[in-house]
Amino acid sequence: MSPDASTRQGAARRDVAAADWREACAAALAGGGRFCGAFADRSGSRRRWHALFAEGADTRVLTTFPSGGELPSIVGLIPAAEWDEREAHDLYGLRFEGHEPLRPLVAHTLDTASWTVPVEGEGVHEVAVGPVHAGVIESGHFRFHVVGERILHLDPRLFYKHRGLERAAEGRELVEGLAFAQRACGACAVANSVAYALACESAIGLVPPRELRRARTLLLELERLYNHLNDVAAVCAGVGFAAGNMAFAALKERAMRLNEAISGHRFLFGSVKVGASALELSTSAVGRARGELRELRHDTARAWREIQFSPSVQARLEGVGVLGHDDAVRLGAVGPAARAAGVKIDTRAASPGLWYGSSFSAVVPPGARGDVAARLEVRALELIDVFAMLEELLAGPLPPAIAGPGSAPRALVVARVEGPPGETVCAVAQDMFRVERLHLRTGSYANWPALAFATAENFLPDFPLINKSFELCYACVDR
Amino acid sequence: MFVLLRHLQRVRREAGLPRRSGARSLAARHVDAGSCNACEHEMTATAAPQYDLQRFGLDIVASPRHADVLLVTGPVTVRMAASLRAAYEAMPEPRLVAALGDCALGCGVVGAGAELAGPLDALLPVDIRIPGCPPAPGAIADAILTACFPEPPR
Repeated sequence: MSPDASTRQGAARRDVAAADWREACAAALAGGGRFCGAFADRSGSRRRWHALFAEGADTRVLTTFPSGGELPSIVGLIPAAEWDEREAHDLYGLRFEGHEPLRPLVAHTLDTASWTVPVEGEGVHEVAVGPVHAGVIESGHFRFHVVGERILHLDPRLFYKHRGLERAAEGRELVEGLAFAQRACGACAVANSVAYALACESAIGLVPPRELRRARTLLLELERLYNHLNDVAAVCAGVGFAAGNMAFAALKERAMRLNEAISGHRFLFGSVKVGASALELSTSAVGRARGELRELRHDTARAWREIQFSPSVQARLEGVGVLGHDDAVRLGAVGPAARAAGVKIDTRAASPGLWYGSSFSAVVPPGARGDVAARLEVRALELIDVFAMLEELLAGPLPPAIAGPGSAPRALVVARVEGPPGETVCAVAQDMFRVERLHLRTGSYANWPALAFATAENFLPDFPLINKSFELCYACVDR
Repeated sequence: MFVLLRHLQRVRREAGLPRRSGARSLAARHVDAGSCNACEHEMTATAAPQYDLQRFGLDIVASPRHADVLLVTGPVTVRMAASLRAAYEAMPEPRLVAALGDCALGCGVVGAGAELAGPLDALLPVDIRIPGCPPAPGAIADAILTACFPEPPR
């Protein structure tokens, strides 16, 4: 790991006529761009529609203007844009020609029975679950269409937790807007906050210095550590392997206590600021943290070996909830779910605003079958790297740091950061240091359609296991 | 397997939790009414070996019909208000409601006013207040045990 010289989290924006919209998006894909979100906003009295394409560390923004709210749909070309178009229809009244039926996503205007995809046939019936679930789980509704015990189709209906966070941030100073990005999700608070901070700094022409990049990368990896430990525990719970569940729950608790020792908060809340570092560590503090991490690394490796070599556990994971390589790419999956399917994408490999060096490479497990076993293995393999990175990031004391001037201010900036469930894409449009529009598209948002797809053909009682192997948030999707 | 069990034995020894005294139990149901998921993480952590709230007979049950106490997280979104009320009404009496975390208590960073029906005590009678963003697992355990058992178990 070595920090890169360039720290520009960039976005080149281009206006496109609505009639040329599909061709422009097709050209962006053909040029090597990866679709990473789309969102609507208002510029004066006009509505705008932006599509985002990741190209290395840069994000290309294509913008078009609907006439009378009508636009050509790109879902035929980019199935990953399905939820984005539905959301823009619900919140901004845009209509997408060719997106049929354009079912509500954020809006809960229909009852669940008439909202779901109609499925007919001999022996098909529906199983409705949620929004209140049986365990300590976030709220959301699942509409399963099943034949006997087998899932034919799953319609997840989320947004029960929609708090209007993006709208609430509008009009506030950029510094205040951070609270809304952070509270979108407890488990991805650092990833979302860092993406927001990087977008704001780039928008007002600030560049984070080395020590600020190091502080943020440290926080991101601490967040990944406790999340991955939590996810391994969750999969163990999903197959009823209590010893594994409790062992990893205990390891996660130690990681949470380490977070508190380092940042003063178990979820690292309040440790990210816009334009400066909110974290300062002395030589003795980093020494103590390194010591605890070494013990944690040792105990994690031992516990993981027990799961890896437990044939009765492994037999429950293999071949369940398969998301193949091509489907993962088509549906725009990101994070561990994509890597488990053999898609080599990890935003850490192209994050000049952070500490990851050019040697960073995405972890893809051998075989990469895209099943529950592979998604679990990706996390275990990434944990090895997380421990190694943390050791390096904590090699010396962490002094305070302030972002300095270095680039030209811009009105609309997109920053991308790899969070635990995948890439967070944060768009900030600003005017005179106030938020005009904040848009968060987290890894969970990108992965929900892929999760629904992967459940088809599986047994209904395996759904909790498949769900846990993706371990997606509802909070940062609903916002 | 034995390695894991030995590991857990060590964790328990180091945690030095007191044994439960007396026969008591409490069935809790959780409803997420729009939280950021941090409260859920901490509630799950109360079952981890370092806290083991189950040793006091506290269990998260699958249905509100089986529950003595309703643990509510989040600022209560408009979309969750009806489900929250339905869960409460399904509970047998006597029943208690706990507001878990600053959002449920109405002092968190929440969102757009039009999307929120909360805070919780605008909708349901709140018996137990557990502040924190999020409250730590130890604080959750203390608050529930103190409120539900007349004399705190040693």
